[in-house]
Amino acid sequence: MADTKLDQTQQGITITRTKRAGLEGDLMTVNFGPQHPSTHGVLRLVVDLDGETIRRVKPVIGYLHTGIEKQMEALRWQQGVVVTDRHDYLSPPINNLAYALAVEQLMGVEAPPRAQGLRVLMSELTRISSHLIWLGTSGIELGAMGIFMYCLREREKIMDLNEEISGFRMHTSYIRPGGVMADATPRFLELLDEFIREMPGHIDQYEDLLTRNPIFQERTQGVGILSAEDAIRLGATGPMIRGSGVAWDLRRDRPYCGYDTYDWEVAVESAGDCYARYLVRIKELRESVKILRQALDRLPTGPVNVDDRKMLPPPREELETSMEAIIHHFKLFTEGYSPPPGDVYVAVESGRGENGCYIVSDGTHKPRRVKFRSASFVNLQALEHMSLGHILADFIAIIGTADTVLGDCDR
Amino acid sequence: MTTSVLPDETVLASGVLAGAEWITIRREDLREAMQTLQAQGFASYLFMTCVDHLATPVVERPPERYELVYQLRNMSAHRELRVRVFVPEGDPTAPSLHDIYTPANWDERETWDLFGIAFEGHPDLTRILLPDDWEGHPLRRDFPVGGEPVDFSEDHETWQTAPPEA
Repeated sequence: MADTKLDQTQQGITITRTKRAGLEGDLMTVNFGPQHPSTHGVLRLVVDLDGETIRRVKPVIGYLHTGIEKQMEALRWQQGVVVTDRHDYLSPPINNLAYALAVEQLMGVEAPPRAQGLRVLMSELTRISSHLIWLGTSGIELGAMGIFMYCLREREKIMDLNEEISGFRMHTSYIRPGGVMADATPRFLELLDEFIREMPGHIDQYEDLLTRNPIFQERTQGVGILSAEDAIRLGATGPMIRGSGVAWDLRRDRPYCGYDTYDWEVAVESAGDCYARYLVRIKELRESVKILRQALDRLPTGPVNVDDRKMLPPPREELETSMEAIIHHFKLFTEGYSPPPGDVYVAVESGRGENGCYIVSDGTHKPRRVKFRSASFVNLQALEHMSLGHILADFIAIIGTADTVLGDCDR
Repeated sequence: MTTSVLPDETVLASGVLAGAEWITIRREDLREAMQTLQAQGFASYLFMTCVDHLATPVVERPPERYELVYQLRNMSAHRELRVRVFVPEGDPTAPSLHDIYTPANWDERETWDLFGIAFEGHPDLTRILLPDDWEGHPLRRDFPVGGEPVDFSEDHETWQTAPPEA
């Protein structure tokens, strides 16, 4: 029996009903997004429904494609940082970090200890801010309206911290190849200390609102189950894989910036459902605060940039006395620096999973190829597997806990 | 120092670069080699992408214009491996791995979209990031960055010359 199609137009909305061979009842194809409020950006999903049950999901992406990888080929190595801010727009410093570490590995330099400490501080602040946005928006989608306001209240403080340390609230470009943009101001350290003292109480507040909330539990427990084998097979990373019982965190398993020297735990839950992914992210918020406290207390003194005049400009005062400094400055801002030919892949743990940067140098002052391995792009492919057989209302919870950022996905 | 994971006749070249292991294999051996690697514990597929070596200034020139790079990970052994496959300019095709590593499905669509490498055996090789009616493959090095046609340009050559019949 062949498929038969019947289009119905009601009040300007066209609904395609397909009678699929071998399936009972009608299949209805619904176009979900790209402007649907609960798709976290411009994600379009073509869903085949049998009544309310999901039989097929096809994500259609590309609405936020901005050609970032092509743009980076036209920019010098040090200019590329500004573009990296913009793909995963909820965690710019972590994107910067992946790129900076990759360029540093290619150049064979390592940022000084204070820069490493500041990078850890910024990464963890970003992780908290990204998880807060996730928590707030996912809460709204499941009918918990209040949580959004609380989450944004704390995120605002992180934005203030970003502004204090880098001058920008969102696209900080703070972490750069060779170190960081500037040293932390005393006010930043004060504000951060206050933030770390307040944050555990705020996380308790979020938990009071959701963790034992029967409606929230009903909507998330047993929904969108992803087994450990499937998570690995589908390439899922981050809270998606840790919610399925796989203890894999790049900060512990492929440590960078001295993450292995801090005392913290990888958040793991075994259930693999939306509730487990929620618990993982809540636990990560607490662990991030723990890391922040240790990193702030142990923040080493010293320079925040490598002492390499071929890679970073000389200090302003040297320009007035040293001819060589002027030459270095001129060369750096007209031609830039050229890493030796080769390729490097560096992955860091972002709020969404493995945020990798693969760069290829051909020995010139511009990259031959920059590829971002974005967690959203890969995690989104697991969406169909998680949602088959669930009803459309559960689909919202599943999209929410997959936590995709479409800028990251489309690049 | 790369402990060999594949038979010697399959591996054309291997090395360690900035702490990362890599091997180069032939395009025809790709599917078989990937199946072997997966069976040996490289269960995680991280990404695949293409590098266009058009007019590269590197002294040791790559053998072909396009290079496909597959990054694999063995999570239990904490080991990563980069697999390189060179694809000639005249025949930009490669075998699809979507049934071996599931996430390769979208990566192959992306590489088709942006580089124009066709993956044989892919179930749905369509554009993924760009619109379906886009012309060209923009991450190729000969695709200009500012390649938009200008609708209302002053075409001085024709404009300053009088039409032939006048």
